Amino acid sequence: MEELVNKVAELKMLWKHKRHLAFRCLNVAMIGLSALMLWKSLMVVTRSESPVVVVLSGSMEPAFQRGDILFLSNHDAPLRVGEVVVYKVANKDIPIVHRIMKVHEKPDGSVEVLTKGDANRYDDTGIYAPGQKWLKREDILGRARGALRYVGMVTIYLNDYPKLKYVLLGIMGIFVLTSKDS
Amino acid sequence: MNTVWVRLNAVVFFGLTVLLGLALMTATSTYLHEGHPTVKTLRLNKIKSFRSQSKVDRAIINFDLEADLAPAFNWNIKQIFVFVVAEFATKTNPLNQIILWDKIIEKPEDARLNLKKMHVKYGLIDQREELKGTDVTLHLYWDHMPLTGRLYTHSVAEDTFTLPMEYIRPGQQV
Repeated sequence: MEELVNKVAELKMLWKHKRHLAFRCLNVAMIGLSALMLWKSLMVVTRSESPVVVVLSGSMEPAFQRGDILFLSNHDAPLRVGEVVVYKVANKDIPIVHRIMKVHEKPDGSVEVLTKGDANRYDDTGIYAPGQKWLKREDILGRARGALRYVGMVTIYLNDYPKLKYVLLGIMGIFVLTSKDS
Repeated sequence: MNTVWVRLNAVVFFGLTVLLGLALMTATSTYLHEGHPTVKTLRLNKIKSFRSQSKVDRAIINFDLEADLAPAFNWNIKQIFVFVVAEFATKTNPLNQIILWDKIIEKPEDARLNLKKMHVKYGLIDQREELKGTDVTLHLYWDHMPLTGRLYTHSVAEDTFTLPMEYIRPGQQV
């Protein structure tokens, strides 16, 4: 508690010395922008708009559990059967991680694929948009290339309790703004 | 190191760094593992039915499979996803790949497969009605799904058979 009162007092003092405050804010901005740069570079290298996704459902168990992180790549190689891909249904925000069950490739190189979760009984036709029977290349965000366990649970908690996001950012912000340079 | 916050900060971030290091070591420890599983047989046993349903051609088959996938396992493998693929070309689609049957193997002890007259899980379904007289090749694929690290799939092509020129009703002799 005393720490908190100290921090608030420090913040009040910072506000009096505007130049110091500006310097501190710049520090915070540097950290934030570096993280953003790293993320955007990852998007370029993997050619995917979402190079890291969190597994949200248990439809690929036991291989992937809720809370696992998957690294994706989206290079131009044609889609082939058996690949674990991440896709979004039109107009929905949730990325789905399932395996390609059927591939039908046309003479011009375009494909129509059908996906299914390993642990699901039926294929994904019920999940696609009404009337949609196949996924096309544009629907696919990328192929899963690597896995890291459990770390994604943080994202799931932050999404389930959005206030937690603001609390966390607030605490981090205060600490960076008021940390001593010693 | 004189306040709770500084200590907590140090413990948390050092802990996370160590975990990340261990994860990287786990992933690289099996990166080069090759393992040579053997596939003795994968072949068509019998075409159970072959007909047109809702404007698309549909074939149901039995197959034989004898394979030992235990060498594909290493300590970093969570499961091997085995599946049988039928690959064929039609007039409309130069390449079609359909998974006919799949299985999850979690332990090397369960990785010796000896299946005779195994009924497929999913039908060989075309997008049109172009399966009559088509050559179909059966492939065996196995996907290595790690605890931590990269996903990779190996496959081997085995038997090729030709679908009959006429439809067969279930129970009819081929």
